[in-house]
Amino acid sequence: MNLFFFLMSILYGIVKFLHINFTTFVLNGYPVGLWVAYLIVAVVEVLLVFALSMVTVIIIIYVFRKYMADAQNRIGPNRVGPWGTLQLIADVFKLIQKQDIIPTTADRTAYKVAPYIVFTPVVLGFILIPFGNVSILNLMVVNFNYTILFLVAFMTVAPVGEIIGGLASHNKFSLYGALRSAAQDMGFEVPMLISLISVIVLAGSYNANEIVTAQKYIPFIIPEILGFLVFFLAMIGRQSIPPFDLPESGSELVSGFSTEYSGMRYGIFYMGNFGFMALSAFVVAVVYLGGWEGPIFPGTVWLIIKGAVFIFIFLLTWISLGRVRIDQLLQLGWKYLLPLSILNLLISAGIAIYFGGVF
Amino acid sequence: MEDKVIEVNFGPQHPSTHGVLRIKVKLDGEIIVDAQPVIGYLHRNAEKLAEMGGYPKGMIYIDRLDYVAALNMELGYVLAVESLMDVQVPERAQWIRMMMVELNREASHLIWLGTHGLDMGMLTPFFYCFRERERILRIFDEITGSRLLYNYFAIGGVYSDITPKAMDMIREWTEDFIPKLEEIQSILGKSYIYVSRTKGVGVLTREDVLSYGVTGPMQRASGINRDVRKDSPYLYYDKINFDVPTRTEGDVYARFLVRIEEMRQSARIVRQILDKLPAGDHYNKKYSKPMLVRLKATGEAYVPTESPKGEFGIHLIGDGSSIPYRVRIRSPSFANLSSIPTMLKGYKIADLTAAVSSIDPVFGEVDR
Repeated sequence: MNLFFFLMSILYGIVKFLHINFTTFVLNGYPVGLWVAYLIVAVVEVLLVFALSMVTVIIIIYVFRKYMADAQNRIGPNRVGPWGTLQLIADVFKLIQKQDIIPTTADRTAYKVAPYIVFTPVVLGFILIPFGNVSILNLMVVNFNYTILFLVAFMTVAPVGEIIGGLASHNKFSLYGALRSAAQDMGFEVPMLISLISVIVLAGSYNANEIVTAQKYIPFIIPEILGFLVFFLAMIGRQSIPPFDLPESGSELVSGFSTEYSGMRYGIFYMGNFGFMALSAFVVAVVYLGGWEGPIFPGTVWLIIKGAVFIFIFLLTWISLGRVRIDQLLQLGWKYLLPLSILNLLISAGIAIYFGGVF
Repeated sequence: MEDKVIEVNFGPQHPSTHGVLRIKVKLDGEIIVDAQPVIGYLHRNAEKLAEMGGYPKGMIYIDRLDYVAALNMELGYVLAVESLMDVQVPERAQWIRMMMVELNREASHLIWLGTHGLDMGMLTPFFYCFRERERILRIFDEITGSRLLYNYFAIGGVYSDITPKAMDMIREWTEDFIPKLEEIQSILGKSYIYVSRTKGVGVLTREDVLSYGVTGPMQRASGINRDVRKDSPYLYYDKINFDVPTRTEGDVYARFLVRIEEMRQSARIVRQILDKLPAGDHYNKKYSKPMLVRLKATGEAYVPTESPKGEFGIHLIGDGSSIPYRVRIRSPSFANLSSIPTMLKGYKIADLTAAVSSIDPVFGEVDR
């Protein structure tokens, strides 16, 4: 059972309770009340997912700031709200107030649209994450047979916004940022997809929820440790966080693709990046660590714990590592990750043939 | 081929230029075809200004040359003036000067280490370095009353004696510093990413170094064992033990290792001075303050000193009046910067920041 039907049944219960008869008017053969109910549920769902992703982003940015400050002998945000928890909200208000500067030579439409291309797929990605099972209720906004495929598609679209923003800015540093972003995405996307395919081979399904249930006894990290490493590294690379923050590369390219961006447009890039971090942590947890499967605690708690572990690893690499050079990055992607992921695919195909019943 | 080359201006407003360096870079994709440094954005006419006041007044402009190692700059000036006028300096004052200069060398190298980390994309070592530098600045604050520009060395000695509290602070610092330095070094030097990005990057051969007049840690990283403190000792550098670290690779990583080792040696020097510091006056009573403005001199003097960036010296010419006829500054960063085209040609954009920060330029001194 889906979250959608769950919300529908709640609405149905409310309607019954209020003794409203919504079968009086008919449109396209269905009662109008049903259309309205669908619409309400859809809006509620969208708001839920949006709120979920936003809250995740706010928490991650706060934790990131505090964690980084702790590692660097600083206190971190401590003025706005209790323990500085409202700092990000204050920052967002500040960014909204700022003048929205668009360079005169920029491609205005592309320049304006680019931050949303980064941000929207990240929020959409949260729709497809299986957040657990409450008896027969699937905590998954959308559940169909190809969720993993769509998840990857969303994660592939997001960095395109960086490329568009960099090219549209009409700035040499932005141009370089965009070109690096393109090179980096290509270098990491292929090994990421191939190691994902080996998971799909093992699980025998494209459905995220079924991939999770396939890991009830053995999480895929055990038979596919190689694939996990490749996928995890590729995920760090796709997020453009250090050590793979080449598109931004603060000290070389000023600020890379986002050099010309200011105000809330920059803020949306920023939120999109941290949203992407949360999304990729959840994806790694779902695909390799068995998502919401786990003893004692409810599934959602398990997923959040596993996701948080990955987020902390992401932050730790961010804090402690330097930036790689572009040739080293491409070498890593094409020379090491790609052959490893293909090897992993062969191994998991073998496992699927000989020990298929285990999963 | 020609149309593929893009010309990009790195600076003068750019996060990794350490001030206002501008590098005109011609890029073919990610590869640097040509790089030309453009300087002069911080020109303040320090030489001419120093020629307009009396001998003691020149100090405040000299202070502002290399503002992260102001005491080293002051020392160069003070030694030149004293050699011009044959001023006798009490022993204690000379030892104090040595100690302060070595402490300031540490502070300068710590800034370099932190910003070098930033240029390599590492934020964290920056804070560790500034934490350590802060302790040195507190010592300076206790002794001189200032944290950045001290105006502490005077003709004939130093302005104030070292207090017992300051002695304790320095002693405590010498005990704590080396483990902290090792911690910072391990963040960079044990990181595979850092090492692979710096080895073989920005190479200057022995011949390049000699032809450009590159001095200081850059020179010693290219295999030339030359340190003014050892070769023509000033102050009492001949009475203490220290090593001059050298490497032969001539790349960014070698400079990193040389500077780190220099910091160890500086701490060693400070520790020795603490034991040797004699009692006595901290300045020559003959050159008390009212006397200073009437100082006159004739002749020429040049005293080379080893500043954190390289050989720093001031060429003074006196014409018999109380105002120096010429104050010529030999600034090490200026000569070191001229090696940029050689260091960068054929490397990648990312190597630009690594190589430029390995020069450790400070623009107060380059543009003067």
